[in-house]
Formats: sequence, C-alpha cells, structure tokens
Amino acid sequence: MNRKYGNEEVDVVIVGAGAAGGVLAHELSKAKMKVVVLDAGPMRDPQKDFASDELTMKNLGWQDTRIVDGKNPLTMGHNNSGRGVGGGTVHFTGVFLRFHDVDFKARSIDGVGEDWPISYEDIAPYYDKIEKEIAVSGPKYFPWGNFHGPYPYPEREPLSPNAYMFQNGCEKLGIESVVAPLAILSAPFEGRPPCINRGFCNQGCMPDAKFSTLIVHIPKAMDAGAEVLPDCMVTRVLMDKQGKATGVEFIHEGKAYQQKAKLVIVSAYVVETPRLLFNSANEQFPDGLANSSGWVGKAFMTHSSHDVYGKFHREIRLYKGTPVLATTQAFYRTDPNRDFARGYTLHAHGARPVEFVNGISKSTEGFLWGDRLRETMLNYNYYGRITLVGEVLPNEKNTITLAEENDEYGLPRAKVTFSYSDNDLRLISHAVKTMKNIMEAADGKPEFVVADTAHLMGGCRMGNDPKTSVVNSFGQTHDIPNLFICDASIFVTSGGGNPTNTVMALAARTADYIKREMGAGNL
Amino acid sequence: MSKRSHYPSYDVMKAKDEWDDHTQQIVSKRLEPTASYSFLTKKEAAMLQQICGQLTGDERESLIFYILDHMDQTLHSSIGEGQRKVGAPKAKELLRSGLEALEQTSQEKYELSFVQLDKKAQQQLLTQLSKEQAFTSKRSSIPQKELFKKLLTMTLEAYYSHPLVWSEIGYGGPAYPRGYVRTQLGQLDPWEAQPEDE
Ligand SMILES: Cc1cc2nc3c(=O)[nH]c(=O)nc-3n(C[C@H](O)[C@H](O)[C@H](O)COP(=O)(O)OP(=O)(O)OC[C@H]3O[C@@H](n4cnc5c(N)ncnc54)[C@H](O)[C@@H]3O)c2cc1C
Ligand code: SF4
Repeated sequence: MNRKYGNEEVDVVIVGAGAAGGVLAHELSKAKMKVVVLDAGPMRDPQKDFASDELTMKNLGWQDTRIVDGKNPLTMGHNNSGRGVGGGTVHFTGVFLRFHDVDFKARSIDGVGEDWPISYEDIAPYYDKIEKEIAVSGPKYFPWGNFHGPYPYPEREPLSPNAYMFQNGCEKLGIESVVAPLAILSAPFEGRPPCINRGFCNQGCMPDAKFSTLIVHIPKAMDAGAEVLPDCMVTRVLMDKQGKATGVEFIHEGKAYQQKAKLVIVSAYVVETPRLLFNSANEQFPDGLANSSGWVGKAFMTHSSHDVYGKFHREIRLYKGTPVLATTQAFYRTDPNRDFARGYTLHAHGARPVEFVNGISKSTEGFLWGDRLRETMLNYNYYGRITLVGEVLPNEKNTITLAEENDEYGLPRAKVTFSYSDNDLRLISHAVKTMKNIMEAADGKPEFVVADTAHLMGGCRMGNDPKTSVVNSFGQTHDIPNLFICDASIFVTSGGGNPTNTVMALAARTADYIKREMGAGNL
Repeated sequence: MSKRSHYPSYDVMKAKDEWDDHTQQIVSKRLEPTASYSFLTKKEAAMLQQICGQLTGDERESLIFYILDHMDQTLHSSIGEGQRKVGAPKAKELLRSGLEALEQTSQEKYELSFVQLDKKAQQQLLTQLSKEQAFTSKRSSIPQKELFKKLLTMTLEAYYSHPLVWSEIGYGGPAYPRGYVRTQLGQLDPWEAQPEDE
C-alpha cells in the first residue's frame, strides 16, 4: 500500500469519509493538521462508476448484513446507509433542511424526548457556513423555523410533475408549501453544472450537480494535504495503558495495518460507530470504548417515512425530475389539538420503477403480485407519491448491539433493534391522513400506503452529564479526551426533518473546537 | 383494466445512444440472458422459472431468464443482504431449503412436482407461503413469509429493470447526459413515451 503518513503519528485520523468525515477532513487539513481519512468502501468516479440504473447502484449502500430485530425491524442497506468515500451523501436525496429551535429543547417545551446540550443559536452560524459552502438552492422565503432565507442560490425551476401535483393539492387545502431547499445546484458553482432534472439522485449524480462530500469536501481536503484511503475497514481503535487513544487498526485487501494519531475521530454513522466502539473493548473498557454510561448504541432513531401512492386520471410520471422538489413543514411543531407530540415534514417524492414496485408490492394492504401487480404497474405513469419524514422519539430500548454472527473480517455483526412508540404511531396515522388529503385535493385517489423509514440518528448521544450521554456537544467522548465521535450518531432527538445539514453543521462546529483546543495544547 | 400497455410502440432502447457508455453496457446486457448458473441447480432454476412467472404475471422466457440470471448472481456473490431478521437463515440457505420444502409440500399435497402443477395450484401454494401457511409442521422452521418476500423482491427488482418492461410501462429509462426539460404536468419531452390510448 502506497502511503503518505504510513509510519508517522498524524494529528488526526478520521474513520469514515461521509457527511461529517468529509467536513472534518476539509476543515482540519485546511488548518495545516496532518490528517488521515479511512473509509471502508471505494473512492468512486461519478463518470465511470455511477450508472443511471437502480439495480446496479444498490451498491452505493452499506450492503453488508446487519441483523434486524424489534417490532418494526428496519430495512438497512441502500435505504439508510452509504458505503464508500462520500458516505450517505453519494446517494442521498439532497433535501437540505435546518432543525428548528424547538428541536433542541423538546423535553423543556413539549415534555417528550430530551433536550440537547446546545440550542439553535449555537449551531446557526454553522448552518450558514455549510449552506454557503455548497451553494444550497432554496426559496426566497422559507416560512417555518428560525431561518427564512434567502438561500445562497435561487430555488430550482422548473420542478417535476409530481411536485406540481403536490403543490396543487396543498394549495387547495390551504396548506403552505415551498420548493425544497436542496444541496443541488440551480446554477453553475465552482465548475459544477446545474441539475438537469434527470431524477437519479439516489443512484449517484453523474453530472456532479448534487453535492456530496466525495466531490466537494474530500477533493478539497486532499488538496490541503489530507491522505484519504478508500477500501480500508477500521476494525479497532487502539488504546494505551493510560486510557488514551493512540490510533486505529484497519484492514486493506485482507492485510491489517495501523495508523497512529494524536486524535481519533469516529465518523462511521449510527450503526458502525457503536459497533466499532464495542469491538474495541479491552480490559480497561470491557463494555466498549467511551461506554461508562452504558449509553453507547442506545436510543438510536430513524424517521418514519411512510409513502402514499395515489392514482390520477392524467399522467404524473414519477421518474421525471429531482425526486424531492416540493415540501411542507406546516405540521412540524407540536399542536395541542393533535393526539401526539412533535411533528413532521412532507415531501413530494418521485420514484423509478424498482423503488415503486418494491413499495406497492409490500404495502399495508398486503402483498401485491401476479396479474394484479402487472396491471397496476402498466399504470405506473398515472401514480403520484407523497412521503413523510416524521419525528421518532428516542427510546432506550431501540439499540445497536453486537450479534452472535461474525462478518468477513471476523468481527461480530451489528444487531439493530427497533420498535415504534405509541406517539410515533399516532404521528404516522396523522401524517398518512394528511398525505391522502393532499392527494385527493389534487384529484388523485390514494391507493397504497407503504410503511417505510429513512435516515438514522443517535446511539452515541451528546449531553452534559457523563452518566447519561456518550459525548459532549463537540463530540468529545466523556471517557477518553482524545477520542471524538462526530456523525449522525451524536443526535439527541431526530427532529422532524432531513438531518444532514445538521450533521455537517455539527461537524464544522467540532472542527472549530478541535482547532481551538489543539492550538491551546489541550488535546 | 386489461393487461395492455398505454405505449405499445414505445421502445426505450431506441434512445440508448443517448445514454452514457457505462449505463448502455449494463442495460444492453439484460437483453442477453446466459441461462447458465453458478448457484442454482437445474431443478431450482426450473422451479424458479414458474415462480417468477407467477409473481410477475408474465411468462415470457426472455424476461424470466434474465430474472434467473439476476437471482443466481445475487445468491452466488458474497455481497451482504443489507439486513436479515434475527433467527432467519442466510439468503442462500433460505432459498435452497425453501424451494426444497415447497417441492416436498407439492408432492405431499398433489403427488406432483411443483413444476407439474397447474397454474392455479401453484398460485395457491404461493399464496399460502405468503401467509405462512404452506408448509406442514415438519418444515415450520423455515420463515415462509421471509422466503416469499425474498423471492418477490429479487424477482421484481430484476423484472422492472428490464428495458422491455420499461417500454411497456412508459418509463423514460436512463437519463444522462440528457435530462428532462419539459416537466410541467402533462408536458412531455419529445423522446418520452407518448400515450396511444383512444
Ligand atoms: C437513500 C437516502 C436518502 C437520503 N436523503 C437525504 C436527504 O434528502 N436529506 C438529508 O438531510 N439526508 C438524507 N439522507 C441521510 C444522509 O445520507 C445521512 O444523514 C448522512 O450521510 C449521515 O452522515 P454521517 O457522516 O453520519 O455518515 P455517512 O455519511 O453514512 O458516512 C459514514 C462513512 O463511514 C464509513 N465507515 C463505516 N464504518 C467504517 C469503518 N469501520 N471503517 C472505515 N469506514 C467506515 C462508511 O463507508 C461511510 O462512508 C439520505 C440517506 C439515504 C441512504
Ligand atoms: S436530478 Fe439533478 S441532482 Fe439529481 S442526479 Fe439528476 S442531475 Fe443530479
């Protein structure tokens, strides 16, 4: 293996080159630190390795088997986890929302979930920074939350037929909707072209119109001197006798290597981060690293993401255009008149045939197959779709643990146990009803409700109390000062909107802290 | 509603020169199934041929053989399953022992091999499988619904990736470097499938 820092102790080693890892690599290498980034998956070339094809591009997901359990076992892989440089941002949909002030204080305000140790004001400057850095496109005025625009780039235009359907439905019902804020270009930026509305965001953007850390942050980090190593699966965080992290062990093409570092940052996402901490257990940390609280792997969350498919008399054509182009957060905040706390976002959401058939063949109506399925599919172009992103409350019983079975590296697989709470289920029923109403108002007939989930958050939550949290608000573990966790796993609650803007803003905040503390000699 | 395409004369492959090379290669290959298998036995392949026909509501061999290719490659490869329910057998085992159990059940119930059953009986067995009711207690350790779901998912993801089917449902297919310009409700770009219904 051809190495730049192979025999050196670097300043920082980052495990995982995803949304958070990309931002960290960029920020820290710009600050002249010696940075090594390791990712389990490949470094892809969008032109050669992507294809406009659903089946082929399933490989952007983390396909390695996870054992799933609970009352509502999750669909993993492409559905919620990415693998390879860029992580989940390579095949994410690009919806780029901020959390609202109330999201950080759900316990104090709504009496559910937990409060974060930070408030909206702490993270706001970092939202500004990230949105500017990738030229987020969005409406002139965004009606909900604390940030009302304008966004760095104008909103997308034209939209997709399904988005127009959604807007029509909302308008008839008096529900405010907007063009979705997106990490997708509406005009050229830094040599990248605007989106051509081809609709394959979940298969990887071939023209580079959609942001990913693979094409934005990682190349910039490499220019600033970072060493980025793809196909390197980190198997263990190395520790010394004094209880400090000294680096990581990783496997590349079947061979084990070590990378020494002053600081270790784990950015491996909600399942692999706890798994790595568990698999790094030693005599001093028998329950896994940074786990004196027992909260590693606990209270992870997903978003409820039910889909409603409805049939129209006229064609919609769900394949056309960026999948999500229209959105409403009119149901985002707790409303005392409803029978559940917290809220949700709704998106008009396109679908190509495989995703479509995978959904409707397993809807809440039961299995659909044979002649009836074929007849339905011949009307594929006559269906529209609306999707939920609903808050799921943190619950100690939803856990990432180790399974009894090992993977190809000889490491125990992750076990992911998930069940909805009553509040989650009441929120879902409300949202499904709203989605049906919108569709009907747009002259469609709702036919299929598909129970689905999206995104993962939590499992190594931040907090001020080392007894009930894993890291502080900067991602520094309470137990091991030079071991950081920075990715979606440090979320305290899920919020009711897409999470990646918050993941990246938190990463930028962590980078600032590390620069400050290292500069002051505290790390 | 009959089993008829709204776009009988649309052929998505006519636009293939507009696609990038990588995608062209991938999609064109689907038109030439190999019918030689690394994981599946001849007997399993014969059974799956019938099952896939049932699940898709389509018996055209060129399509079914492509689905079998896809299943065989997926089961042969070492790529993970994404997720597996706790206690469920690994996909390879599930498929193999599941098909065997289905065959034996057919023999016990009808004294015929699954592939010899008439369509109705096959359908009935598959329906029972989807409800966890096909196998007798001896084989009850096989999670029948999981098996049905696995078969359904693998079958449909391949079938709806075949360009012939794309044409029939009027899907625009790969779109790069060319994207969509006319995206208002009811608008079509010139190369999209035009509805031909009266
Ligand atoms: C289909 C889909 C659509 C989505 N759409 C949206 C959207 O529209 N808007 C939005 O806000 N969010 C969306 N998301 C969510 C988004 O992708 C995640 O929130 C985000 O990527 C999380 O960032 P992260 O840094 O925590 O982890 P990731 O981006 O997942 O990065 C983790 C990285 O770590 C690597 N890794 C893991 N374990 C190891 C190891 N042991 N050694 C080395 N490397 C390792 C992985 O290969 C991966 O590259 C979507 C996700 C999916 C899957
Ligand atoms: S719709 Fe736009 S952003 Fe999405 S993949 Fe296509 S060109 Fe890229």
